[in-house]
Amino acid sequence: MRSLDRFNHRGGWALIRNTWQSWLQHRGFFFLLAFGWMLPMLVYLFIWSAAAGDGAVAGLTRGNLAGYYLALILVNQMTYSTTNWTVGDNIRYGGISAWLLQPISPLYHALSQEIAGKVVFMLFSIPVTGLLALIVRPELSLTAGQALLFLPALLLAWALRFFWGYWLALLAFWAARADSLLALQDSLIFLLGGHLAPLALLPTWMQPLARILPFRYMSAFPVEILTGLLSGREIWLGFAIQAGWTLLAVLLTRLIWTRGVRHYEAIGG
Amino acid sequence: MHYIKLIGLFFKTSTQAEMAYRYNFFIRLLNAALNLATGILSLVVIFNQVETINGWDLPATLALLGVYLLLGALRGLFIGPSLESVAGMDGEVWKGTFDFTLLRPVDKQFLVSVRTWHAFALVDLALALGVLGTAVGMMGTQISLMGLLSFITALSAGVALLYAALLGFSALVFLNPGFLFTWVINDLFQLARYPVGLYPGWLRLILTWVIPVGLMTTIPAQALTGTLSPLMLVLTLGFTLAALLGSGWLFRLGLRKYASASS
Repeated sequence: MRSLDRFNHRGGWALIRNTWQSWLQHRGFFFLLAFGWMLPMLVYLFIWSAAAGDGAVAGLTRGNLAGYYLALILVNQMTYSTTNWTVGDNIRYGGISAWLLQPISPLYHALSQEIAGKVVFMLFSIPVTGLLALIVRPELSLTAGQALLFLPALLLAWALRFFWGYWLALLAFWAARADSLLALQDSLIFLLGGHLAPLALLPTWMQPLARILPFRYMSAFPVEILTGLLSGREIWLGFAIQAGWTLLAVLLTRLIWTRGVRHYEAIGG
Repeated sequence: MHYIKLIGLFFKTSTQAEMAYRYNFFIRLLNAALNLATGILSLVVIFNQVETINGWDLPATLALLGVYLLLGALRGLFIGPSLESVAGMDGEVWKGTFDFTLLRPVDKQFLVSVRTWHAFALVDLALALGVLGTAVGMMGTQISLMGLLSFITALSAGVALLYAALLGFSALVFLNPGFLFTWVINDLFQLARYPVGLYPGWLRLILTWVIPVGLMTTIPAQALTGTLSPLMLVLTLGFTLAALLGSGWLFRLGLRKYASASS
C-alpha cells in the first residue's frame, strides 16, 4: 500500500514536467477556464467602484478597489485547485489503482497537475490583468516588507486550499458524489474569502466568521497583505490562524487517505 | 402540432433518463439552494453598505436577480443541455455523431434546440418566480396592467435574446470545432446578474448592443420598476428580432461547413 509521503523527487519532477508540457498543448481550454474565473471578480470590482463613486466605501477608493481585485484575480488563480475536482473521478473509475502501484507518492500526481495548471493559467492571466490595469487604474503602494510577507501567505493559502479540497475530495472513497462539497467550499470562499467584497465591506455579523473560518486564508489574506489593508498585529494573527488550518487540513488528508485506501476496492479492470 | 408532440416526447424521454440517477436530485437541490443563497447574500452585503447604486435600490436589484435566475432556469431546462450536447465538450460535433442528427427528418435548428431536457430546472424556475414575487412585494407599488404587459414583452425578448446568443455561439463550433464557444457565452452571461447601469460606460455599451447579455435582464427589470422608456422597449424588440434572424443564419452557415469528424 502506497503511503502519501513516499517521496521520489526525480520521478516526481519528471511527472510534473510531463503534465505541464502536455497541458500547454490544450492552452485554449485552460485560457477559457481562467477567463471564467476572472469575470466574477471584475463584476464585483465594477459594482464596488460604482458604489464608491468619486469618494470611498469603508475607506476604499476606486483605485484601492482596483488594486485589490486585480491582485485577487491572480491570487485566486494561483490558489484555486482544479486537481481536487478530478480526484473523485479517479477514485470512482479506478484510475487511482495505477497510482497506487507506481513507486512515487500519489501526491505527485496531484502536484504535477497543480503546477501544470498554474503555469498555463498564468500565461493567460498575467498579460490580461496587465491590460486590465491600464483600464481600471489601480493604486498600489507596495513596500518591500509587504511583498516579502505576501509570498509565504500566498504559499500557505495555496497549501490550505489544496489540502482542504483534497480531504473533501477523498471522501469519494465512501460517498460517490463527494465533489458537491467542493461546490460548497467554492461558495463559502466567494462569500467569506474576499471575492464578493473586501473583508472591510462585509456586514458586521459576517466579519468574525470570515476571520475565524479557513476560507479567507485561502484567497483574500495574501491580497490584504499585498495591498496594505492589514496592521502588523492583524498580519501575525492571520498567519497563526492560516498555519493552524493548514496543519489541520494536512493531518485530515493523511488520516482520510490511509483509511480510504484500506477501504478502496477497484471495480472492473 | 407535430412539433409540440415532439417536444412532449423529448421531455418525457429526457426525464425518464434523469430519473435513473435519483441521488442526483439531492445534489441538485443543494446546488440550487447554494445558488439562491449566494445570490441573495450578495445583495444583502452590497446594500448593507450603500442605499442605492446608480439609481438601483435593493428591491429593483432583487427583481433583476429574479429575472436572471428565471432566464438561467429556462436555459438549464432545455436550451443549454440541448445545445451543449451538440457543441459542448464531447458534443456531437467533436465526436462526429452529429451525422445521425442531420439524418433526422425534422428542422435541424428545432431539433438541436429542444432535444434534451432537465426537468429539475423546474425547481430553479419556481425559486426564480419566488424571488421575483418577493421583489415586487418589497417595491410596495401596484403594478399597472401596462407595466405587467411591458414586463412580459421584455421578458420574452430576454429569453429570445438568450436563445439567439446561445445558438449563435454554438454555431461557431462548426467553424472551429476545437473551441468551447458555449463556455464563453455562459461566462459572459454571469455579467447579466447585475444591472448594466452599474458597469462603466464602455462596458455598458458592449453589454447592451454587442453581446446583449445586459439587455436580457436589465430591460425586463426596468419594465417591472416602471423605469423603462417605450423607445427602449421597441429598440430591444427590434434588436431581438435581428439577433434571432442572425443566429439562425449563422447556424445554417455552420451546417453547410460541417464535415464529419471521423473518416
